[in-house]
Amino acid sequence: MGNPMKILAKNLNFYYGNFKALADISLEMKKNQVTALIGPSGCGKSTFLRCLNRMNDLIPGTRVEGGIFLENENIYDAAVDVVSLRRRVGMVFQKPNPFPKTIFENVAYGLKVNGINNKNVLRERVEKSLHQAALFDEVKDRLNDSALGLSGGQQQRLCIARALAVEPEVILMDEPASALDPIATQKIEELIHELKTNFTIVIVTHNMQQAARVSDITAFFYLGQLIEVGNTDSIFTRPSLKQTEDYITGRFG
Amino acid sequence: MQRHFIKELERLKLTVLKMAALARRALQNATHAYLNRDEALARQVVDGDREINDLEMEIDELSLTMLALEQPMAKDLRFILGCTKISNELERIADQGVNIAERTVFLCQNPPLDPIPAMERLIEVVDEMLEKAITAFAEQNTEKAFDISKMDDLADQYTLEVLQSLIAYMAKSTPLTEKRLLNTRRSILTIIISRCLERTGDMATNIAEQVEFIVKGNKIKYQ
Repeated sequence: MGNPMKILAKNLNFYYGNFKALADISLEMKKNQVTALIGPSGCGKSTFLRCLNRMNDLIPGTRVEGGIFLENENIYDAAVDVVSLRRRVGMVFQKPNPFPKTIFENVAYGLKVNGINNKNVLRERVEKSLHQAALFDEVKDRLNDSALGLSGGQQQRLCIARALAVEPEVILMDEPASALDPIATQKIEELIHELKTNFTIVIVTHNMQQAARVSDITAFFYLGQLIEVGNTDSIFTRPSLKQTEDYITGRFG
Repeated sequence: MQRHFIKELERLKLTVLKMAALARRALQNATHAYLNRDEALARQVVDGDREINDLEMEIDELSLTMLALEQPMAKDLRFILGCTKISNELERIADQGVNIAERTVFLCQNPPLDPIPAMERLIEVVDEMLEKAITAFAEQNTEKAFDISKMDDLADQYTLEVLQSLIAYMAKSTPLTEKRLLNTRRSILTIIISRCLERTGDMATNIAEQVEFIVKGNKIKYQ
């Protein structure tokens, strides 16, 4: 529990137009830990996740109050370069979204955007990322094949490799296994365990068992508020609040 | 699906309550047989243990199935774990009933000892502890569970009194060897019965601790 703080949300409010989607959220996410965000649909957990690398900036009419600090820097400061922020805080989405390019090109894409063109460096970084994403052995003989020929689970690990290639500090995962079968899901979960030794991970999941299996800290959101946050083993065995207990035991509403 | 699970939890609770009723009945019959020198009733307790053992296995199976199929969380998870532990205590309580009944069979076949007032009080307090433990579980009431821990001190005290009175009896017993041997044997069996009751009180306390765990998530040991 002694890990240093990596990202801190401080009194965060978020609006879609007049609708307040997040109300006064303060949450600390620690380095080399997996923080799971759980809660029913519409509770604000994905909105919160997207605030962490300013993905919501892309949606017109949205507004943020309060701050999110990546280490000591408020990512909403005017001086922050959003592209560089998103390199530091990468994201993996619900549905695997490989580019219609080769496996190699998919992983190399972010590196090239960041100006790395040396072939040896590219190859080294692509292979390292594929290893980290536990995909290398399955694709090493077909790096020049289209990424669209991979299975859903492989595509998702490819997207993770793509996110890792630019060497982020934080990885945000928005229901990364919800479109996958149990075996592919298990591989992603194993991967999350491996990745936290090098990265800080924040994951949104609807699957409570998954949150219980992969995370160190669980935060329960409801109606735009952070209701309870605690060590995952406590939240799933003896939550402090009845609202949390009702949600995780399926007695909600 | 959720409703189905809640029905299954209710079924588990009813099975534990049924087992609790049978275990308490076994203990009551055993102590009744002891107090009233009813050998037939004592033998009935010895023969009736199988049903309680079967219920313990049924509870294990129900719990295992629910853990595997429903992957329960929080209070539901604690409830299922608590039920398996409570059923284990109940099975041991029923075994104490059998132990008492087996000693009672021998005592019934020999002349009675003088009544021991502490033994009667011990029987009463242990039965009351068991009743409170079962009610605490049925109502998921931790206040009732806490009462039991206080009664356990009383049970320990009565057990000691039984021991002291029988040691005194054996010390002043007749010098004739055969009779003395019989007196000693009857006294020791009666002491064993008091120990069985004292252990039952401890098990009722364990059940109360499980109720505390189920309701509040606290792992406690009542002193």
